[in-house]
Amino acid sequence: MNWLNWLSDFFSAPDHRSGPDSIVHRVSEHLLLSGEALLYAALLAVPLGLLIGYTGRGVTAVTALAGAARALPTLGLVTLAVLLAGVGDTAVLIPLVALAAPPLLVAAVEGVRGTDPDVRDAARGIGLTHPQVLWQVCLPSSAPTLLAGFRTATVQVIATATVAAYVGLGGLGRYVIDGLATRQYAVTVGGALLVVLLAVGAQLFFTLLARFALPPGVRAQRRAR
Amino acid sequence: MITFEGAGKRHPDGTIAVEGLDLEVPTGRITVLVGPSGCGKTTLLRMVNRMVEPTSGRVLLDGTDVAQLEPAKLRRGIGYVIQQAGLFPHRKVIDNIATVPYLLGWDRKEARARAAELLELVGLAPETAKRYPFQLSGGQQQRVGVARALAADPPVLLMDEPFSAVDPVVRAGLQEELLRLQSELHKTVLFVTHDIEEAVRLGDQVVVLREHGRIAQLADPHTLLTTPADDGVAAFLGRDRGLRGLGLRPASAVALRPVGDGLRYGGWELALDDAGRPIGWIDRTAVSAELHPAAGFRPETDTLRTALDAVVLSPAGVAVALDGDGRATGTASRDAILAALTPTGATAVGGIDANADESSDTNVGTGPDANAGAKADAKTTVSTRKALAADGTGEAGTTDRVGGPEGSDGGR
Amino acid sequence: MDDEPIVRWYWIGDHLGYLGNLLADHAVIALLPVLIGLLLAVPLGLACARFPRLYQPLSAVFNIVYALPSLAVFVVLIPYTGLATQATVMIPLTFYALAVLLPTTVDGLHAVPDSVRQAATAMGYGPWHRLTTVELPAAVPYLIAGLRVAAVSSISLASVGALVGRGGLGYLFVDGFQRTFPTPIVAGIVLIAVLALAVDLLLVGARRLLAPWAVREKGAGS
Repeated sequence: MNWLNWLSDFFSAPDHRSGPDSIVHRVSEHLLLSGEALLYAALLAVPLGLLIGYTGRGVTAVTALAGAARALPTLGLVTLAVLLAGVGDTAVLIPLVALAAPPLLVAAVEGVRGTDPDVRDAARGIGLTHPQVLWQVCLPSSAPTLLAGFRTATVQVIATATVAAYVGLGGLGRYVIDGLATRQYAVTVGGALLVVLLAVGAQLFFTLLARFALPPGVRAQRRAR
Repeated sequence: MITFEGAGKRHPDGTIAVEGLDLEVPTGRITVLVGPSGCGKTTLLRMVNRMVEPTSGRVLLDGTDVAQLEPAKLRRGIGYVIQQAGLFPHRKVIDNIATVPYLLGWDRKEARARAAELLELVGLAPETAKRYPFQLSGGQQQRVGVARALAADPPVLLMDEPFSAVDPVVRAGLQEELLRLQSELHKTVLFVTHDIEEAVRLGDQVVVLREHGRIAQLADPHTLLTTPADDGVAAFLGRDRGLRGLGLRPASAVALRPVGDGLRYGGWELALDDAGRPIGWIDRTAVSAELHPAAGFRPETDTLRTALDAVVLSPAGVAVALDGDGRATGTASRDAILAALTPTGATAVGGIDANADESSDTNVGTGPDANAGAKADAKTTVSTRKALAADGTGEAGTTDRVGGPEGSDGGR
Repeated sequence: MDDEPIVRWYWIGDHLGYLGNLLADHAVIALLPVLIGLLLAVPLGLACARFPRLYQPLSAVFNIVYALPSLAVFVVLIPYTGLATQATVMIPLTFYALAVLLPTTVDGLHAVPDSVRQAATAMGYGPWHRLTTVELPAAVPYLIAGLRVAAVSSISLASVGALVGRGGLGYLFVDGFQRTFPTPIVAGIVLIAVLALAVDLLLVGARRLLAPWAVREKGAGS
């Protein structure tokens, strides 16, 4: 039970250095799957969330829906989707999108609603149209909230994409599941560690992004709050 | 008595909040600290209950340096009311009021009984007891705040802009309530405000502060308004301080013409309903019987300022004096009120009113009865005023001082 | 798969007792960690509110803890806590719950208006006394909001424990998948959703009971 030995075993195994089971390949599979799920979720949830937040209609329904979605077990959705649709990217993407969409939706709604009403009012007052207000005023000021939503969604998707391996897909979950099945803890722990690194990396990435990439005005506003 | 002895506060970053203040806050009176924001008035107030520790000098409470008292114990003996009432959101009104008694280890029943008493004292309905703070209006919350501060019957009350966050109408009501409470309770009150009007209304003594807690003037409100120490204080008091001073003087000084003496003033006649309440002025020269609003004042409770205001608002130039039930007890002409403004000889001045609508040259001293129903026009009013200026000491004054109250009795 | 219906009702009828046992196991595995998390979060939160310097590092640590993938953590724990034991699943869930509850506790304690805090001090409350009798009760609505998130997430996450042998209702997913038999999977999803909903409603009720003064806040928040 020596961690260092396990990890050195894991990282030095020839299979893990090149070929279809190599670490680089598995990591890229993992990121690709996560990225795809996030992209679809964002395309679906962000515009809808902005619109709902701007009009203020259906906010209660969205909040309730997002809360309910949190209760859905991803493992159950993945297994069910595979049984119904067969093994494939789609079967795994649907649950992952269902996982990533709610936090993005809520973030978009809250971000727009969090815009200072006086600023919105003033923007309307100086002659901006509704789409212009949404695009030029609400979107920038909701950037921090949106970014936080993306952080939550990304971390969750990266963590949960591991489950995809259970139904036969690639990604870092392969190491975890295969290692468990063959009782090779070195492989399991190595895979798990990589997922942790990816998730924490994503978390840090978004934290830094929020700190340095936001427009200075928006950042100051957030600090003041 | 609270005594500030060179009490000063310098912040760690070197900025000075209060330079060093000497002040006595007499027992049983309301002392108001007033000044622009940043003059250190709140800092001074908070030195008393050790929410702020002075960096120089000391604060004494009845001769004892507060620094020697344990803060929690000291604070439980001092009522504290702040702008945002600061009620505990998770406690019902009754338990909010009973907070300090609970802290002092009172029996729960006893504490609640005391709280119920205070609820009534501050003019809130008994059913308010079971509400939560968020269910109350701002004014009601502030009343609860006052009740909470009074719960353990502390001899000292600190009030930090307690009425600043409510609208002017509610504020006036709360101020009145505070004065009424004070006339019963005689607390030692230290009151902080930036509103000079509030200061002169409430204070037995007013301390006008400049930056760094320097005293610009310490005086009773009347002195403050009439003789400001310097131009700075005068500017702070505002342009109409003379008028505002009228707000400090009781309207009871106005000599009234009893209702029984007639309700006609020149071309105007006051119409009353069956109960004797004024319904309006009627222009007797006009064809239509259109009613013009009759502005009134209550001699018992209102100030000269209100009386003057009523006269200015009245089309007939006459203010209607009302009793507690809104019935007219008498009338006061412009001249009667102007007469009452003259600081000296208020008694004598009262006499003029009786003659306001008659040629005073001939009738001074004959009393109001002689003039009942007499016609008056603008000319006679002017001549009356002249007479007033020449002779402000008519014996009629004596009769009329009696006449006022009599008139109000007759109205009932 | 073509002839296999999504739900075979007779299977559910035959396995009611079995489903009940799994449900109970699931509730314990998922909710006990939330309870422990709460018991840890309150004192920790109070300490953070009293000593603000403590909060920065703690919140950074729990931010990362929350990012840890559950399956990965279960696996890493197996050598210490054993395969298919409750502890393997419950220890990480406790930390997840704590990661949600600590910030909400601290936020709740900070949400008390400054005027309330000052009034309390002026009436002679000491700092700890004030924290526990004024700020903590006033933070109850926040705590319950945090509990709702933590409980629902925990109920959903616990099912992943099935992959390391102890996941309550999650076992139905593994079982159904291995037998290409969707009925248990559907039953598992539904039961998990029902459990989450029931707990959520219970917490909403608890809020009504414990914090009746916060009714209006809720209306404004939703």
